[in-house]
Amino acid sequence: MATQPYQPSKLRRTLVWGDIRKRRLGMIAYVLNRITGIGLVVYLYLHLIILSMLAGGPGSWDPFVTLAKSPAFLALDVVLIAGWLIHGLNGVRVGLNGFGIGVRAQKAMFVGLMVVAVIGIAAMALAIFVKG
Amino acid sequence: MTLEIPIKIFRYKAGDTAPHYDTFRVKVAEAANVLDAIEAAWAEHDRTLTFRHACHHASCGACAVRVNGVEKLPCITPVSEAWPGQGEMLIEPLRNFPIISDLVVDVAGFFQRMIASGLIITRTAESTLPLSAEPSGSVPQPVQIPDGLERLNRFESCVECGICISACPTMAATDKFFGPAGLAGIYRARQETGDRALATRLLELADGEHGVWRCHSAYECTEACPQDVDPAGAIMALRRELIGYRLKRLFGR
Repeated sequence: MATQPYQPSKLRRTLVWGDIRKRRLGMIAYVLNRITGIGLVVYLYLHLIILSMLAGGPGSWDPFVTLAKSPAFLALDVVLIAGWLIHGLNGVRVGLNGFGIGVRAQKAMFVGLMVVAVIGIAAMALAIFVKG
Repeated sequence: MTLEIPIKIFRYKAGDTAPHYDTFRVKVAEAANVLDAIEAAWAEHDRTLTFRHACHHASCGACAVRVNGVEKLPCITPVSEAWPGQGEMLIEPLRNFPIISDLVVDVAGFFQRMIASGLIITRTAESTLPLSAEPSGSVPQPVQIPDGLERLNRFESCVECGICISACPTMAATDKFFGPAGLAGIYRARQETGDRALATRLLELADGEHGVWRCHSAYECTEACPQDVDPAGAIMALRRELIGYRLKRLFGR
């Protein structure tokens, strides 16, 4: 019979990281940074695996290039750019705050930088699908 | 006017295999606070319900809980704000603390971190500001706070309720993190001391593995703080001071 104080499991506690219910803008920025950060790490490994296909010569590389030009794959490029922009610009905010710059304006800074991110994502999507 | 509110309360007792929730229908005045509703649940329905409270006016910080998932001092949270008139009002203990019984959490670790700076955090500056001398019969007025002292008083508004610890997502991952209140305490202690060696020691304490660099800038501590202490602002200020300190050391100054 348990007589110790109750502690939720580590997994249950860690899920708090992704729980933005009734939380404020700073928490949304925090969760976005985690999701995009994990996404970029996964991309890095995928990128290395795909580059290793070069070792297989044109026979393995050329079919991949054809796949990479498909609309579905190009949409993934837009997702990747979104991850870069959101993570990078949010990182600028966190970095500046760490230097004591704009701490009280951190919410406005987040909103402003995310507007820049959205404009950047739209411009890149345009460049990929229309001009590409 | 009296309100009849369904209040759903987290329950756990030593020996239980898992926590559960009990719902009570309590009658409170329209102007009541959430703590009144919790007390009504205890008084009218279940005397085994355990919860902390003392001052009833946001001075002691003892009663902090989560109301509908958000950290609050129930003694100053009106039921009219916490219960929109339908559904249940959910009351749970603070997160990131071991739960001893129902709404009572173990705050020992929190206070150990708070005193790690070597300075006991008190509210002395707030309580000892003298009232101005007034002629007999007139109402005394608080003295004018000297320029700059307001900034120093800021952390002394802390009632050590633990709400910032509950709101902090980093605390959810590790209980070794110094935490928002502890780091804000270090920042405040540095401002207070005239001893340069102590100020440096405090800065190095904040620079440790579980210090300011563990904070991930979610700012939930500042958002949740019922006393407007702004622990996140203190953490960022400590980071700025640490960067300056390290740069000086790098160039041998």
